[in-house]
Amino acid sequence: MPLEQQTHHLTFMKELFAPNAQPSRPVFATMVGAQLLVLVLLWVFYPLQLFPSLGQVLRALGDLITAQGLIQELWASMTTALQALAIGTVLALVISYLTALPFFRPIAYAATKMRYLTLTGLTFFMALLLSTGHQVKLSVLVFATTVYLVTGMTSVILTTTREEMDHARTLGLGEWRSFWEVVVLGKLDLMLEVVRQNFAIIWTMITLVETLYQSEGGIGLLLYKQNRYLHLDGVLAIQLVILATGALQDYVFVLLRRVFFPHSALTAAS
Amino acid sequence: MTPYFHKEPVLTLEGVSMSYHGEIVLRDISAQVLNVVRPNMTQGQVVGFYGRSGIGKSVLCRIIAGLTPPATGTVRVGEEQRPVQAGDVGLVQQRYPLFNHRTLADNLLLAAARKHEPEAAKREVAAYLERFRLEQHGKKYPAQLSGGQRQRAAIAQQLLCSDHLILLDEPFSGLDVAMIDEVKKIILEVTTMDELNTVVIVSHDIATTTALSDTLWLMGYERDAAGQLLPGATISKDHQYDLAGMGLAWHPNVEAEPEFNRFVEMLKDEIRAA
Repeated sequence: MPLEQQTHHLTFMKELFAPNAQPSRPVFATMVGAQLLVLVLLWVFYPLQLFPSLGQVLRALGDLITAQGLIQELWASMTTALQALAIGTVLALVISYLTALPFFRPIAYAATKMRYLTLTGLTFFMALLLSTGHQVKLSVLVFATTVYLVTGMTSVILTTTREEMDHARTLGLGEWRSFWEVVVLGKLDLMLEVVRQNFAIIWTMITLVETLYQSEGGIGLLLYKQNRYLHLDGVLAIQLVILATGALQDYVFVLLRRVFFPHSALTAAS
Repeated sequence: MTPYFHKEPVLTLEGVSMSYHGEIVLRDISAQVLNVVRPNMTQGQVVGFYGRSGIGKSVLCRIIAGLTPPATGTVRVGEEQRPVQAGDVGLVQQRYPLFNHRTLADNLLLAAARKHEPEAAKREVAAYLERFRLEQHGKKYPAQLSGGQRQRAAIAQQLLCSDHLILLDEPFSGLDVAMIDEVKKIILEVTTMDELNTVVIVSHDIATTTALSDTLWLMGYERDAAGQLLPGATISKDHQYDLAGMGLAWHPNVEAEPEFNRFVEMLKDEIRAA
């Protein structure tokens, strides 16, 4: 390799390990491609065979789709997850915005601390209160989502500065209108980001909840069955499907943020 | 010297004091800004409040803007000299805040809607965008504006909804020479827009504030008979300067004049002595 080319490659390598460096798009893409390749090679050639092979996982995936209705189960879980997310988001927004009134602050504080509650006992109480399995499943997911979302949303609200509120007040907007403009409209993009970050919690919960209430099926139940019969290839295939779904969801959220809040990326970049 | 005379008060501070957690920050501040009239001229005025860093200038700004009630005393504004309320006085804060989620035109429209019907508000916004040389940027978000554009936008926004009285908190802080010149130009533009426009500068930049102002107040600490410093910044009667009367206002490039520089040096000595 000529000396000039070698130096060029060395500069690229240095860039990848320099703090806060901004490698060019092609360099970054090449690096990600290489990392993926290493991962796949490790999987294919790893001598201990802890994981099922790539071929086994792909075969299991095909079997899950054709014989066990993976897509339908995924759809069932996805609709439940989205339903829980929608209800949880509305509840969390209401609880968080109500912190403007001192009377409601203890409620928001208590909600954030409920993240530490284990769901095992909770499902029992919910089963006593509600009539159908679906309702219990949904309410458990809504509860978990809400408490996590309230935590993130209240911390977003707490980033409001006196300068921001004073700016609105000097325009004669009044306290509620200033709150609406600065905290509600001004931070809606950050609230969407909180929702995006916390959506993952639903997927970790859904496995547990679907095994408790098996009547409606779902990808969680499918995963549980594969795990129970030690079908590791199936387990891995489902995990990869969940991972891909999560990545797609993340992308959709980023897209929504870009479309509905174009100022958001500008502010972050500046 | 340009002939001028004073008319009715536009801003009155009467015995304004403020304390935080038992510590006196401002003590018994009284000052009155009168409407200055110059025959055959349509020009408002610039008023300066100088104070060292940490003396409580921002607290004074918030009190004048009606954002914080003083512990004692009153602030009155306008022709009717009514007690100030938030929204009566335009306040442009140090970092020139705007609503980042709204475009520039929407930012201005929000302010204009306070005083005008929707159609009239749109016309006002269009006129202000043109006046402040921002007509090309109405659809941009604040993050897409340059520093100078942002300053002009923030001042325009406050002017659109205040009653001729606009307060600038540390407008020169952290700016380079070119940006300071830009802000000075904007301030002079604002005063020429309407003869009732009064720009109040609260700053620790003594030379620039003096160069722009018609009247200057120095905030500082007083001593008692025994020579002990009294707590809380105030404005003593000796520290109120009618720069227009002294022939140090309304000159282009006044900062180059020896008389102006001697006066600024004298002020600096006063500040150091306090």
